[in-house]
Amino acid sequence: MAEIQLANLAHSYNPTAPTPAYALEPLDMTWSDGQTYALLGPSGCGKSTMLNIISGLLRPSTGRVLFDGKDVTAKDTRARNIAQVFQVPVIYRSMTVAQNIAFPLVCRRVPSHEIRRRVDHLAELLEMTHLLRTPAVRLTADQKQLVSLARGLVRDDVSALLLDEPLTVIDPHVKFALRRKLKAINAEYRMTMVLVTHDQNEALSFAQTVIVMNHGKVVQAGTPQELFERPDNEYVGYFIGSPAMNFLTAHVKGDQTGLDGCDSVLGVPHDLRETDSLKLGFRPEHVDPVKGDIQLKGSVRKILFEGVDRVLEIAAGRNLFRARLDNWSGAVGDQVSLRVPAANAHWYVNGNRIGQPVTRLAP
Amino acid sequence: MYRQKYVFLLPGLLVLVAIIIFPLLFTVRVSFSSWDVFNPGLDYIGGRNYARMWADTRYWEALGRLSVLAGATVLIQYVLGFALALLVWGDVRAKRFFRVLFLIPMMTTPVIMSVIWRTIFHESLGPLNGFLRAAGLSAQPWLSDATLAFVSVMIVEIWQWTPFMFLLLLAGLMSLPREPYLAAQIDGAGPVRTFFQVTFPMMAAISVGAILIRLIEASKIMETVYVMTSGGPGTATETSSYYIYIRGLRDFQLGYSASLSLTYLIIMIISLTIIAKVMIRLLVKDRT
Repeated sequence: MAEIQLANLAHSYNPTAPTPAYALEPLDMTWSDGQTYALLGPSGCGKSTMLNIISGLLRPSTGRVLFDGKDVTAKDTRARNIAQVFQVPVIYRSMTVAQNIAFPLVCRRVPSHEIRRRVDHLAELLEMTHLLRTPAVRLTADQKQLVSLARGLVRDDVSALLLDEPLTVIDPHVKFALRRKLKAINAEYRMTMVLVTHDQNEALSFAQTVIVMNHGKVVQAGTPQELFERPDNEYVGYFIGSPAMNFLTAHVKGDQTGLDGCDSVLGVPHDLRETDSLKLGFRPEHVDPVKGDIQLKGSVRKILFEGVDRVLEIAAGRNLFRARLDNWSGAVGDQVSLRVPAANAHWYVNGNRIGQPVTRLAP
Repeated sequence: MYRQKYVFLLPGLLVLVAIIIFPLLFTVRVSFSSWDVFNPGLDYIGGRNYARMWADTRYWEALGRLSVLAGATVLIQYVLGFALALLVWGDVRAKRFFRVLFLIPMMTTPVIMSVIWRTIFHESLGPLNGFLRAAGLSAQPWLSDATLAFVSVMIVEIWQWTPFMFLLLLAGLMSLPREPYLAAQIDGAGPVRTFFQVTFPMMAAISVGAILIRLIEASKIMETVYVMTSGGPGTATETSSYYIYIRGLRDFQLGYSASLSLTYLIIMIISLTIIAKVMIRLLVKDRT
């Protein structure tokens, strides 16, 4: 178990080119011991590159990786003592489940009675004691993935457990149980865990800190709640949350701001230049029929059924926004008047959130 | 219903009959005749050819010799081919050059290469004995000593067909997924353990295929024996196909050689089926 520090880390697959293309742009980051992290982003955003650099399968072209303050950049995977679970379940085909789980210990010459004790304990934790004698090739995909996971956990001294989209090949209903097991493991072993995923639900429900990435850059890192309530930029707003965050184009006239379909007149953020694009961002979840300072009007274009909730797509002038309302009854074409609390709305200038609060000047 | 389908099937069936079934049946018929150079024609002599074959120790010895030759050479080819494939699989300098270089023996004509090798093995003029003498060793009667002649044939066979194993196994290696190797690295397995626990189990299926193809091919060995030793000295390097060739084309005992061929075919089918089953059982575990 260790604190992982990435110091000025960057990676390019063609570092000698005049203008190297970065798979991972320079970044500094510290991951504390025993916490759970999720790297979230679309395919090709550099999250797997980052993971492979931490596990030592890839040498970064610049920067350093430190475990508990010790520079491990030049060390290979074996010396880093890391555990990693891949997207595809990996099993040793010629072995039984027990032999598979014991393999990392056998490679490290741990005494056999100790191996047996740890394998048995782990099998119990992962509820697979009855499978120990089964040849590993006969397992189902999710059982194989559990075996991969167990191989990472069987060493009790690992620096961190890295999970590279481990739940992608797993059936949805088993996914949930597996995620629960991961959390139980984190609770028992207090192990630093890093999960790579492109599934926001997985990231938000698993990790204490979520790191959103795009085009090799860390776009925002924070708790799931921070990411949900105060996205740093439009990308995070779109990427996290379902449906995505609403961004309404605003136009500034003198010291007032108007929005299409918005009855309220809002204050203008300071230091706004004429060329800047200004947008008001708010979550569909924060839209309410009665509560809120900012009033929005429009006609319902689409209604999506989501259990108790209805997600409405509303056309307000040239703007389009979504609202998640519970127990709403109405039909397409209805004129609606809705409200958003100013505290839940944020200004975005050129795609980035600015810290200034949204203020209402007139009704 | 749909009787016309037979019209469309007919050309295919006719070709099948003409190419496979007719020659086979004809061979069966010939094997019950005494067709030879003095009495050409399809008479019927019952199972006399088979009775003669049963007592023909030279035939059974040739078959035994063939099993040893094919088994040993294919095994050595497999080990060598696997080793070479592993060598040029990773990041090796000039690996493309080596990949092509290793394939050259396979592309040459067996007859020509056997002639070259016979020259190399030549007792007084061949370069091999020249090297041995230069190294202070005594010259060896490569092609006139029974054991050495057998070894020489084996060497040529291995030299010629290791590239085939190399090719198939390299293709297999290159199609392997990356993750198991990363996992093995993370689990702390060294190169030897990685080979036996990761590479070899994943290569088991293709290994069985490669070995079977080579066993079938190696059993037909003919040119090498013909050119290098003509089955000699004595019958020391005589294999089944060469013996059948002697009886059929040199002695022109068509009836007898037909019975030998048929028996050979049946023995091959049975033994290769058993070998395939056993290998799959032993190596490819997930099929159980």
